[in-house]
Amino acid sequence: MALVQQVQLQSAPGAGNRARRAAGSPALRLVGRRLLAAIPVLWGVTFLTYVVMSALPNDTAQAALGLKATPAQVAALNHALGLDQPFWVRYWRWLVQVLHGNLGTSITGQSVNSELAQHLPTTLILLAYALVVSLLLAIIVAVLAARRPNGIADRISLAISMLGLSIAPYVLAFILIIVFAVKLGWFPVVSGSLGNTPLSYFKALTLPAASIGFPLFAVYTRLLRADLVEQMQREDYITTAKAKGVSPWRVLIKHALRNSMFTLITVVGLNLGTLVGAAAIIETLFSVPGIGYFLLNSISNHDVPTIEGIVLVFALITVLGNLLADLAYAVLDPRIRYGSTTS
Amino acid sequence: MSVRTASLAGAAALVLGAAACSSSGSSSNNTSASSSPSIGAISAAPVKSGGSITVLEGKGFSGDWPFGLDPATNTDGSADQDYMTAVFGQLFELGGSGQIQPDLATSYAFSNGAKTITINLRQGVKFSDGTPFNAAAVVWNWERDFGPLAVKAGIAPEWVIARSNPKNPNSAPAASAIKATGPYTVQVNLLAPDGGFINQLFDTIPMWIASPTAVQKEGETKFAQYPVGAGPFTVVSDSYSDQIVVKKNPLYWQPGRPYLQSITFKSVSGDEAAYEAMLAGQGQVYEDMSTTQLLDEAAKQPSIQELNELGTSPYDLQLNTAVAPFNNPKAREAIYAATNFTPILQHIFGNRYPVTESFTGPGGICYEPTVPGYQGYNPTLAKQLIASTGLDKVTFQLGTINSSPVAIDTTEALRTEWEALGMKVTIASWNLTELIAAFEANHGKSWQSMIQTAGAFDPSSGVGVGFRFDSLSPFSGVHDPKLDTLLNEAEAPTNLAARCSYYNQAAEYIAKNYYGPFYFTFSPANLSVKGIGGPGLTAALPAVAVAPTIPWEDVYYNPSS
Repeated sequence: MALVQQVQLQSAPGAGNRARRAAGSPALRLVGRRLLAAIPVLWGVTFLTYVVMSALPNDTAQAALGLKATPAQVAALNHALGLDQPFWVRYWRWLVQVLHGNLGTSITGQSVNSELAQHLPTTLILLAYALVVSLLLAIIVAVLAARRPNGIADRISLAISMLGLSIAPYVLAFILIIVFAVKLGWFPVVSGSLGNTPLSYFKALTLPAASIGFPLFAVYTRLLRADLVEQMQREDYITTAKAKGVSPWRVLIKHALRNSMFTLITVVGLNLGTLVGAAAIIETLFSVPGIGYFLLNSISNHDVPTIEGIVLVFALITVLGNLLADLAYAVLDPRIRYGSTTS
Repeated sequence: MSVRTASLAGAAALVLGAAACSSSGSSSNNTSASSSPSIGAISAAPVKSGGSITVLEGKGFSGDWPFGLDPATNTDGSADQDYMTAVFGQLFELGGSGQIQPDLATSYAFSNGAKTITINLRQGVKFSDGTPFNAAAVVWNWERDFGPLAVKAGIAPEWVIARSNPKNPNSAPAASAIKATGPYTVQVNLLAPDGGFINQLFDTIPMWIASPTAVQKEGETKFAQYPVGAGPFTVVSDSYSDQIVVKKNPLYWQPGRPYLQSITFKSVSGDEAAYEAMLAGQGQVYEDMSTTQLLDEAAKQPSIQELNELGTSPYDLQLNTAVAPFNNPKAREAIYAATNFTPILQHIFGNRYPVTESFTGPGGICYEPTVPGYQGYNPTLAKQLIASTGLDKVTFQLGTINSSPVAIDTTEALRTEWEALGMKVTIASWNLTELIAAFEANHGKSWQSMIQTAGAFDPSSGVGVGFRFDSLSPFSGVHDPKLDTLLNEAEAPTNLAARCSYYNQAAEYIAKNYYGPFYFTFSPANLSVKGIGGPGLTAALPAVAVAPTIPWEDVYYNPSS
């Protein structure tokens, strides 16, 4: 009886909705859990950075004042910057400021918040440009390659991917400069102020984005291609779809690709940390006025508040990127969206 | 792989390879110069007014201005001289033969035994904000240069002057020290004679005069980003350590100058990026290129002209006489005899730089490439001295700064030479702060030998001879009162011949006591595209600090030539 009543309740209109509302959205729960988990991660990253910077044999004031500064001048600047305080005092003060939304003041006297606001958008756009284009191209090429394993498209994509995997981004950057900037004149060598129009802006970012994106494209292509081939050759649902008369392209794109995206999304999320590191080098090579370029300046100046601010932002980007990856799973797999366990 | 596939792949590789490896693009490992660098002057295009250029500046030196361009707070003023002189101009210019030329100041005179310097300013000059450039403005600036901002930044001038508080060496100058003796006449009264005073102004903050009105109106933070001076250009936009755009100052005092309408100074990552940018037409000038392979490549480019400036700062091997093994004069002599710079200059630097046996260079005053009694390379003598002093039984350290490729390359080469003669050497390369710490640790007794530059346009200024050889300098390995006296005496006279006599004696004394062998006078090269003309780009100028000060009002670009 109880079972019948239970079934009747579940069958009644609105009962399912009420149950879902009562349980809460799994996506929201996921976001909440991840954001809470990010707090100790972010704290740990900034703390470790502070420890490392404090342990390095360097002196911010000396670096700022140069060779001819007297010990008294160095001491005075250290005092003015609060650098003569014990490590724990300095870190606590910085942390309290950060919790109030203030990332502090760099040794140049500029607000770290304003420096980040000025430079961060350029880096985010550069990384997004590199990531989006590399992903789109990787998907297209991987699908073409997986359509006929060991066919001509597959072999060409293998060769290109091997090139991308074996070449260092900074070496690739110089090759791109020589070919596309110097010889062909299609793009600028020095990105500099990036231009006033959207076209000139993206033109200035194309070679840096290609330097970052090509190795990514290589990785994503190989991974996705392998997963697609695996899906197409071994999965029962693919056999079923073929048996039902679904066209090979439709099987590949509508069915296999969707499942293969999980692996790709995982790798993209994991790669975010290395992506921001690559940006620092590439931005410096092309003089892109982004946060990576700014970070290397700050490291050479031993500008701890600026370094901490940038590290915090990088860590946040990585955490949020991985969160987005998890949410993307939910978009791709309705079972996750509605709270059931995934296969 | 099928034949068809292999053909396609090979064709693609060939296309990329041909494009990438053409003669105009890549750096090669060519160690011999295919053509001699131009020193002195190169043929310049006819003068043309108008136009704009982009000047590329290498990061790590001139391409960084994190503290802005206020003379009183810019700790990188010497490195940022391009922007400083473009905006502020200069009181005096240094000509190609080392002569002091009038600019915003027209003349100077020494009196009172070289303790009083009177400077006459050019009349009728205005700052770019329309306010008058006069003695009152100069005095205001110089007093500010000794004020708390500059003291805190560690860039206050080193003039020996009376202070308002005699017990506080950082207090403001006494009223008698710096004063306007007329509407266009400024007088500086020193406590000790200084015949090199005017030379010492170059590339230092007193040379750059800011508009007092603008400083007070804008406030220091904004002024550092948008400085106002009486120079040939005014700032249009300034993104720190990235790009500055300047345009012609309509109020500039010199009729017909500047030739250029605007200049964009753009920071680039280094020599390679700058070279590629110039080949791509993205920059017309790049200063301070020191990568030998790229200089060789640039010399082959028909579109690029290369000018080696007149070096003033020789590289020197400092030997610390306070500690073993170099507290022994015989050990120091062994180093002199064991060191052969000829192959280093030939194979590493393509014979680009002139050898010198003293702290003077061809671009500076009192240049003497050879010094009587200087112990040159003598491997036989070296082996004897190494054995007798026990230099083959100890390991000593050779240090240098890691930001100088020249120093690092030379260090490695020297170690190779010395180890071939039985010595054991470890190399340490440091960043600036670590280097300073290495000098200062244990009261200057932790380091044994260092490769550094010693000397300047005027040996009494900047990182001059005293910086490396004076007892009171923390960066000196020599503590010899007689040498101190010689160097102090060399600074005082206004007569150049008298000063040079003292410096020659000092060079002989250093050689006689084997205080440190000198190598060559390094000077970076300035690259420009054909059509560019002007001092420092087609006619060599002496390097004041590392690079010469280019008077941007005299630079032009005639692309049709």
